[in-house]
Amino acid sequence: MTKYLLPLVLMLFFSSCVVVKEYDKVYLNDDEMLLSAKGMERFETNFQIYREAAAGANGGKTGGGCGCN
Amino acid sequence: MRISLFQIPSRFVSIFLLGVTFCANLSAQQNGNTYTKRVLETAEVDMLFSYYGQDGNNAAVTGGEGTEELTDATSTLVVRMPLNENDVLTVDVGLSAYTSASSSNVSPLDSSNDNLSPFDASSGESRKDVLTYINPSYQHSSADRNTIWSVNAYFSNEYDYTSVGFGGSYSRSFNENNTELTVSSQIFLDQWRIINPIELRPGFFDDRVEGPGTYNPNFEALDKENRNSYALSLNFSQILGKRWQGAVFADAVVQQGLLSTPFQRVYFGDVGDFFIDDFQLADDVERLPDSRFKLPLGGRLNYFANDFLVLRGYYRFYWDDWGISSHTASLESAVKISDRFTLYPNYRYYTQTAADYFYEKEAALSSFDFYTSDFDLSQYDAHQYGLGIRYKDIFTNATILKFGLKTIELRASKYDRSDGLDAFIVTLGTTFVAIQ
Repeated sequence: MTKYLLPLVLMLFFSSCVVVKEYDKVYLNDDEMLLSAKGMERFETNFQIYREAAAGANGGKTGGGCGCN
Repeated sequence: MRISLFQIPSRFVSIFLLGVTFCANLSAQQNGNTYTKRVLETAEVDMLFSYYGQDGNNAAVTGGEGTEELTDATSTLVVRMPLNENDVLTVDVGLSAYTSASSSNVSPLDSSNDNLSPFDASSGESRKDVLTYINPSYQHSSADRNTIWSVNAYFSNEYDYTSVGFGGSYSRSFNENNTELTVSSQIFLDQWRIINPIELRPGFFDDRVEGPGTYNPNFEALDKENRNSYALSLNFSQILGKRWQGAVFADAVVQQGLLSTPFQRVYFGDVGDFFIDDFQLADDVERLPDSRFKLPLGGRLNYFANDFLVLRGYYRFYWDDWGISSHTASLESAVKISDRFTLYPNYRYYTQTAADYFYEKEAALSSFDFYTSDFDLSQYDAHQYGLGIRYKDIFTNATILKFGLKTIELRASKYDRSDGLDAFIVTLGTTFVAIQ
């Protein structure tokens, strides 16, 4: 599934030919449209890093700490 | 000396907040002649608290069988201070106090129970610990706001582990701020203070040991104490339309050093079993390779449906050279029920394959080079369901000292794993802004 999904996402990005002007970004500037993980999610992300093998690729911490409890 | 979560002097917090206000006002006065819109208008303070609990019966400390009961209370203070129009200093400090039944069984002989068992907690000192950390960062934006660079440092400490880290990032916006590319790097230089299960320490003797002959495991102490992590990250974000935007994240992480946990027991299938009551004594501790390469690739897609609903989707594929691959997918919606209140129902799915070195209890053989019975490295699926609610007051009518309350948010999530581990987490967060 991944070999189809990743090219699809990349194609969607690079095919974007519309340039949205600053005065048209009212929806995009809404604080719910944040593209990185929200500050309130940091503790959930932290326990997921401890309990799961996978981590990273969310704009947050990618290493450090023993995660051993 | 151990510090309780609730022993932070309120006087210290008050002095700290007044200092932040003073710095913010000083920097505002210094630039009174010309007006440039600041990256951050005024100082902000986030206060975050969380309470986490889990339970299960596959504790790694007792070789994959035993209680995983754990609670953790974390308190964090994040202060963002504008130093001038372009520069922001952020200081993130916190402490995390936890009690862990499985960690208590590093030394089960401390137990006051009549019958020792991996499914009961011990009362020894290893049942609890406090992690403290500080993470300062400095960010500079160019005058045209198209370039941002930042540097950061990290230090954390707990009883048997110290982590020191530093890193930096560089962001560039182009295409009329429709596209942004960020490159960042982070290095952690961590240090273990090795603690082995009590029965593997020199001089161990207990006349209650039962088994086939004399308990004399062929145990060699671990020879490394450091763990270094090197991460390189690439983030690419793109506006896709007036209501759509997305981002792609790619990390490459290399870890080297002691990557196993020195007090996690392993029981071999080809070695005799020794017990004190119902507690099985270790044949060895887990042993894992001294290097690991991780490659997570993720993407986020946000959609502003209307004034009442925003959808946030996330997907990640992960691969590492220990044989683990995983998929993560989550969807959160922001439902704006009024000008001030927003609800956040959310769902997250996670699945992973097992590490090449994972064996259930008694499945590994003593002739193997690497083995672990840590179920965090086993094959499983996990579902997480959550709900949050946020109150936002853009006028900051409620004030404390010289700070106005901007937002207060409460989140709760339930986590169910297919191997029987259940967890929940509750988070409370507030944001205050300095009143000028």
